[in-house]
Amino acid sequence: MKKQCYFNQHNISHIDYKDTEVLKKFINPHGRMVSRRRTGISAKYQRQLATAVKRARFMGLLPYVAR
Amino acid sequence: MNETQNDVRMNVYEIGYLIVSSVPEEKVASEAEAVKSIITKAGASVIAEEVPHKEHLAYTMRKKTVSGSYDKYDTAYFGWIKFEVGSDVVESVKKLVETQPSVLRMLMISTVKENTYLGKHASAIAAEFNPMGKKTIERTFSPALKSSEAEKASVPVTPASVEDMDKSIDAMIKEV
Repeated sequence: MKKQCYFNQHNISHIDYKDTEVLKKFINPHGRMVSRRRTGISAKYQRQLATAVKRARFMGLLPYVAR
Repeated sequence: MNETQNDVRMNVYEIGYLIVSSVPEEKVASEAEAVKSIITKAGASVIAEEVPHKEHLAYTMRKKTVSGSYDKYDTAYFGWIKFEVGSDVVESVKKLVETQPSVLRMLMISTVKENTYLGKHASAIAAEFNPMGKKTIERTFSPALKSSEAEKASVPVTPASVEDMDKSIDAMIKEV
C-alpha cells in the first residue's frame, strides 16, 4: 500500500524549525535525516523538512550528531 | 514584476535568538525587550512572538568574550519574534540583533504571515506517527523521554553524591 504524506494528512503547509517534536520523527538515533522512501512524505515537504532540520540544528534545538 | 530598484517591499521575517544562560532569569524579559525594541525602532510591526524560555542545547555553543577567550554554554534562553518590515532595513536589524552582547546566536528567516508554529499541538500530532519504529532520536536525545522510561523501569533516579560514588569506586577496587 502506498504511504500517505504525513504533512498533507495533517494539513501542515509550512514546516516550522521550532516544532522539534515533529522534526524528531524524521531523524534517526544518530541525528541524521530519514529518507522519504522510508517516511513516505512528498518531495515538496522533504525539501521543507531538510531546511527546518538544518535551522533547528543551527539553533541547538536538534543535534548535528548523536550517540 | 512591476518593482523598480527604489521600491521597498514589505516582507515577513522571523528572528529566533538564544540569550546566554549567564543572564539571570529575571533579566531575560528585559533582554528580550531590547531585541524587540531594535525591531520596532526600524519601523517593523510585530505579528507574533514568544518570550525566551530556558532550553537545553543539543550541543555546547561558544561565544567570544571581550578579552578574546570563549565562554561555553550548554543551556540558553530561546525566544522568537515574527514581524513585518521593509526589505531595505532588514539587514541592519539583523546586524544590530547579532551584536547584542547577551545574544548567543540568532537566526533570521523569511516566512509567511500565517501561523506556522504548531507549539503544544505538535506533540499530539507527532505522537500518532512513527516511521522509525523504536529507533527514534527521542530515545537517545530527549531528556523527558529518558526520565519517563526510567519511571517505567521503576528504578529510583537520584543524583549520586560524591560519597556514594567514592563508596562504589572502593567496592569496585575491592572486587578487583
